[in-house]
Amino acid sequence: MLLLPKFDYEEPKSLPEALAMLSELRGKGRVIAGGTDLIVNMKKGTVKPACLVSLKKVDGLREIVGENGALAIGSHVTVSQIAESDQVASAFPVLARSASGLGSPLIRNRATIGGNIVTARPAADLPPALIALGAQVELRGNGKDRKVPLDGFFTGPGSSVIEPGEVLTEIIVPAAPPFTGGDYIKLGHRAALEIAIVAVASRLTLDKPDGVIVDARIVLSSVAPTAVHAVSAEKALMGQRPSEELFAGAASLAVADCSPITDIRGGAEYRRDMVNTLVKRTLLKAYHDAAGVKGGGA
Amino acid sequence: MKKLITFRVNDREYEIAVAPNRTLTQVLREDLNLLGTKEGCGVGDCGACTVIVDGKPVNSCLVLAVQADGSDITTIEGVARGDSLHTVQQTFVEMGAIQCGFCTPGMVLSATSLLDKNPRPTEREVREAISGNLCRCTGYQKIVEAVQEASRRMKK
Repeated sequence: MLLLPKFDYEEPKSLPEALAMLSELRGKGRVIAGGTDLIVNMKKGTVKPACLVSLKKVDGLREIVGENGALAIGSHVTVSQIAESDQVASAFPVLARSASGLGSPLIRNRATIGGNIVTARPAADLPPALIALGAQVELRGNGKDRKVPLDGFFTGPGSSVIEPGEVLTEIIVPAAPPFTGGDYIKLGHRAALEIAIVAVASRLTLDKPDGVIVDARIVLSSVAPTAVHAVSAEKALMGQRPSEELFAGAASLAVADCSPITDIRGGAEYRRDMVNTLVKRTLLKAYHDAAGVKGGGA
Repeated sequence: MKKLITFRVNDREYEIAVAPNRTLTQVLREDLNLLGTKEGCGVGDCGACTVIVDGKPVNSCLVLAVQADGSDITTIEGVARGDSLHTVQQTFVEMGAIQCGFCTPGMVLSATSLLDKNPRPTEREVREAISGNLCRCTGYQKIVEAVQEASRRMKK
């Protein structure tokens, strides 16, 4: 049995109280949300906080609020809430799809969207979809609050721009423009409890249903230290008329946009091949959604 | 420092002092003597420690007991009604869905909570619902059949 080392545990009743507590702990405190990652890491001894600060009693972190096609998701919303939300499924199916592929139903019932972001794992399930959707996160700190695009939030495996004493409170997903479609595919060895070998989230926006591409986003996960844009592939798509040949060309460019490693889940060469395949597939699906669904399908 | 927590386990109120570093699995087994909840991997991969917290099946090895303060918990001991087994337990026994038995409590809890919210699941939905519960004996086929049979019997 894996035992947990000793630590303190606090449940502040408000965010200001939590922030004061975290600043007093001077980096020795950690926020615990669902705990599905943190408790595992503490059992393995890779993180050793002196005190866990739970935001369980802080109001307003567990809601999904929709307004004019945009969504504000509290950081303590569970992954199963996102996977099962009709609101999320209709506005941002890509996000719903990435949530329903995370861990197992048991894990999804505890794991939170905020936790999945702040752990900053290269293979995390929600960030690629959220980045493709242009999400921002709200960080509340002692005396200063800021909003940061998720694109650029991650700085490496396990690290992000979040500062000690800051708390991620909300994820804001802006409304998708008209004629937008998207897709997310996670490749793993099995359907449940899987960490992605490669995951790709793509989103395309057209100027009209049979028009040209005015915005292209392709986010690759598990093939670099953080989720990354396939920058040259995105550039190649801009202003172009969609076609299978165009997507095939973009997919082969995407292969050079990532830097996969070989590990227990797959070889670098295999990962590059799969980036090619998955980018092509997600773009095709994104295009079909964009051309057919008014008001955006991603 | 120990924290005083109150929770309901199998319809019974408890008030106990627990150290923050003890998991819900440990407290259920060691303090409440509810030994039906098994600990397998301890990191959320195997599902042997599954219990239902506030209506949702979760890995109790990844829940701190202090986090369960104020919760309503069901363990495998709370599934049967008196001497009569829950329909899911009965079909597991009859249809050979139990072999060594180590995964069974968690498997039954995942299955019963599926049937609570979706009384007529498809085979795919059954497989999805138990996908966090590993079984190294049965190959899952008999478990899936037992859950589907339970669904048919409960519908009557």
